[in-house]
Amino acid sequence: MTGFGLTWSVVAISVPWLAAILTSVGRRQIRVIGFTAALVSALASALLLSAAPPRESLDEALMVLFSCLTLGAMLMVPRRDCTSGTIAGMLFVLGSTLLGYSAENLLVLLAAWFLTAIPFCLPQWFAARTWRPRAGLLLSGLTLALAIGLIAASGHGMSISTLRGQSPGGMAVLALLVAAVVFRKGICPAHAWVADAAHGGPAIPTALLLNGHFGALLVAKLVVPLFPYAARDLFPVLSYFALATALYVAIRALTENSPRRLLAFIALSQSACILAGLESRTTEGITGALVHLVVVTVSTMGLFGILRLLEVRFGENLNAGRHLGLAEHAPRLAVFFVVFGLALVGLPGTLSFCSQDLLIHGTLASHPLTGLLLPMATAMNAVSIFRLFTRLFLGKRRTGFTVMADALPRESLILATGVLFVVLGGLFPTAIIALQSAQAETVEQAMRVTHSIRSKGDMSRPALNASRICRRSD
Amino acid sequence: MDLLQATLVVVVLAPGVVFAVFGLLWLTGWVPSERVLSRVTGATFSSSVFGLAAIVGKLLWTRTPSVEVAFGNWFAVHNYHFPLVLMADRLSLPFLGMTVVLSGLIGQFSATYLHRERGFLRFFLLLHLFAFGSLVAFAAGSFDLLVGGWELVGITSVLLIAFFQQRTAPVENGLRVFVVYRACDIGLLVAVFAMHHWAGTASFAAGLPKLTGGQTVIACLLLLLAAAGKAAQVPFSEWLPRAMEGPTPSSAIFYGAISIHAGAYLLLRVQPMIAQSALVSGLVIATGVITAIHGTIVGRASADAKTSLAYASLTQVGVVLVEIGIGWKSIAIVHVLGHAMVRTLQFLRAPSMLHDYHMMRSASGGELSPTGKHLEDLFPKGMQLWLFRWALDRGHLDTILDRLVVHPLVRLSRAFATLDHIGLGQPMPRQREAAISGRSSAGVGGD
Repeated sequence: MTGFGLTWSVVAISVPWLAAILTSVGRRQIRVIGFTAALVSALASALLLSAAPPRESLDEALMVLFSCLTLGAMLMVPRRDCTSGTIAGMLFVLGSTLLGYSAENLLVLLAAWFLTAIPFCLPQWFAARTWRPRAGLLLSGLTLALAIGLIAASGHGMSISTLRGQSPGGMAVLALLVAAVVFRKGICPAHAWVADAAHGGPAIPTALLLNGHFGALLVAKLVVPLFPYAARDLFPVLSYFALATALYVAIRALTENSPRRLLAFIALSQSACILAGLESRTTEGITGALVHLVVVTVSTMGLFGILRLLEVRFGENLNAGRHLGLAEHAPRLAVFFVVFGLALVGLPGTLSFCSQDLLIHGTLASHPLTGLLLPMATAMNAVSIFRLFTRLFLGKRRTGFTVMADALPRESLILATGVLFVVLGGLFPTAIIALQSAQAETVEQAMRVTHSIRSKGDMSRPALNASRICRRSD
Repeated sequence: MDLLQATLVVVVLAPGVVFAVFGLLWLTGWVPSERVLSRVTGATFSSSVFGLAAIVGKLLWTRTPSVEVAFGNWFAVHNYHFPLVLMADRLSLPFLGMTVVLSGLIGQFSATYLHRERGFLRFFLLLHLFAFGSLVAFAAGSFDLLVGGWELVGITSVLLIAFFQQRTAPVENGLRVFVVYRACDIGLLVAVFAMHHWAGTASFAAGLPKLTGGQTVIACLLLLLAAAGKAAQVPFSEWLPRAMEGPTPSSAIFYGAISIHAGAYLLLRVQPMIAQSALVSGLVIATGVITAIHGTIVGRASADAKTSLAYASLTQVGVVLVEIGIGWKSIAIVHVLGHAMVRTLQFLRAPSMLHDYHMMRSASGGELSPTGKHLEDLFPKGMQLWLFRWALDRGHLDTILDRLVVHPLVRLSRAFATLDHIGLGQPMPRQREAAISGRSSAGVGGD
């Protein structure tokens, strides 16, 4: 990393951490401090992105996305939740997540992995009421720590770039890394903690945790580059698990009546599709996965945010088992909800229509039979999200509310920004897709190099060129 | 881009722009008056009618088969690209014309019909979005773009079924229709991906994708699934009476005219592919015949006007499918146009049907002969009763789909929920209602 990159990375990471300390101590103007810190972080990340070559800008793009997400979350957090603890925790998660994205060293990545999980394990911060989220996060951290420990024990260094293509530690390390992905991402059978975290923890910070997509990051950052040979054979297995998760969770969501759990299941199902796309070994599929990551992140954040706003206004015990008729009281929130919800599942005119198009195309091209699960899962998710919309917002009007329940200007502003992003991104997707496509080509090329080496037994000229590109990017 | 191409673009985009502008203005807090809405709607669709008339005139004058507008690729990744091509040819022009004419008529009718109704703005916004979706689907030069329009038609249709959102039945029925749409749309999505995979393109502006015999059969079967879902063909017909929960104008334009014929349009578009396979042609004909018989029997036992009209629509669409299967494309197009116009009129007159009936009876001297009695008399008495029971339950299609698809899925989902609760040490939350079974009674008629 150049001096320029290092400086702005430090700014992007340290400012939220410092602001977290400030809000914990000062306890005044905490929303303003949180917003400013997230804004600085977003600007620093944007500078990093603008300076990075398009083909090597995945980490920087994720940094921009996550800092913008936190920026939006700062505006959306309802006043009831806007305590110094919440804001400090969210800023802490922001700094830690950006540290994970920008990590070039295994130990730094491990530290970020644990730091992002810590607030969700401490009862005074964002811990859920049940034990499974803590167990899921802890197990993912421990498996990653074990994997890194084994790499160190096998005499390798800790720099990710020097480890590329070396399969450090062999199959045991790969298995541990895959286990870390499974636990962190919530792949079946380790999926239950995600719903528990969403159900029993604070909605908006939990959405931030889930939208860090550390599982997918580990795949793109470690599994594929470090274990190119083994990944080629074993990666499809992870993809099948991801597709099975997408379908399992989509079926599970069909009868779920807790809005938070239901949203968590849909988010999980759509996130699992990202892994399947990354594994598709086609530029279309990988691009679709990366674009879908952006869509899932923005949409689920919007949906969880709206749900929290509804809980604050209409009570914490919202249940999708009956019709609540909230659209009469909050018509704009209803519109935002339906747009975010349908954008998550491929509504035409939104960015997810393009991402799903690419994702399904890539997955079907590489796995024609198992790839069919993807449109099936998406169709079921669409049914579930529409059911949630109808149950929350349609039906007989509830009486007894005297407060103005619709979105406040602050909330409208941020939700409208999110809606405009997914809609304009869908109408004019070229810029976003071109950026992600460049990054996808790098990932796909690394996989193709592996394939070429494996099939021919030596390095052909195109494979050598691709390999050089990969090494140059180090 | 010449004037003709620009006109086509304006015709297709105009309702979408109106939807976007009014939608954004509403988000900022401005609610347009009924007069503004109805005038803008009238102006939009009137100008679209004139624009389309100009296109038709120009094409006839210059003896050009079609007008195409290529915007390049919407997005492209590696070898995969999403072509953005609009096309108006001999097949799409009648459907485009039908859409703009009927949308304009329904807009004018609804301005009075829904006067001072809560949701007036919502209805008009959805009408514009629906018209935009239909125009995109009918003017698409590729299956990729057609999917976009197709999905928009589906979602607006569902939102309009749930228009009277204060009542539970319309909302639940809307959800059920959404389930059927999404399930059948998988066929269209997979068919498009299959075409890309096999032929490298899903564009039909320069001719249908070139597929081998087996590939053609698979693609056509998938498209037939999608068309059957949208056109409410057997075994998916059970959603149609549920869709009657929406306001009458939307029932007229969706299930009497445009949405119900979208499936026929899709099959007409791929008719040369269908004609290549006797199996697919036979299946299309069989689907049409079964649906036509089902529609006419069930329609005779329907207790309300809108549902009986919906089944009459179903019968006619079944016949259209038979015509497509046989290869009578022109007859099918004329049939669709004629049927759409007549059925829209019937739907719009449905609220005053009793009044019309009395007028007709008075005009005929006090007695009206029952229609179709001669057909019913062809069956023995016992079979008539059996058919009546069968028709009352709408061919048991609802029950069959519930037992074969919905209930197993719900049971599976609950089994997964039980699995998920293992180790939590908490009691399972009680499942109050079946999630997607749509408990409410169907076909009780809209307002």
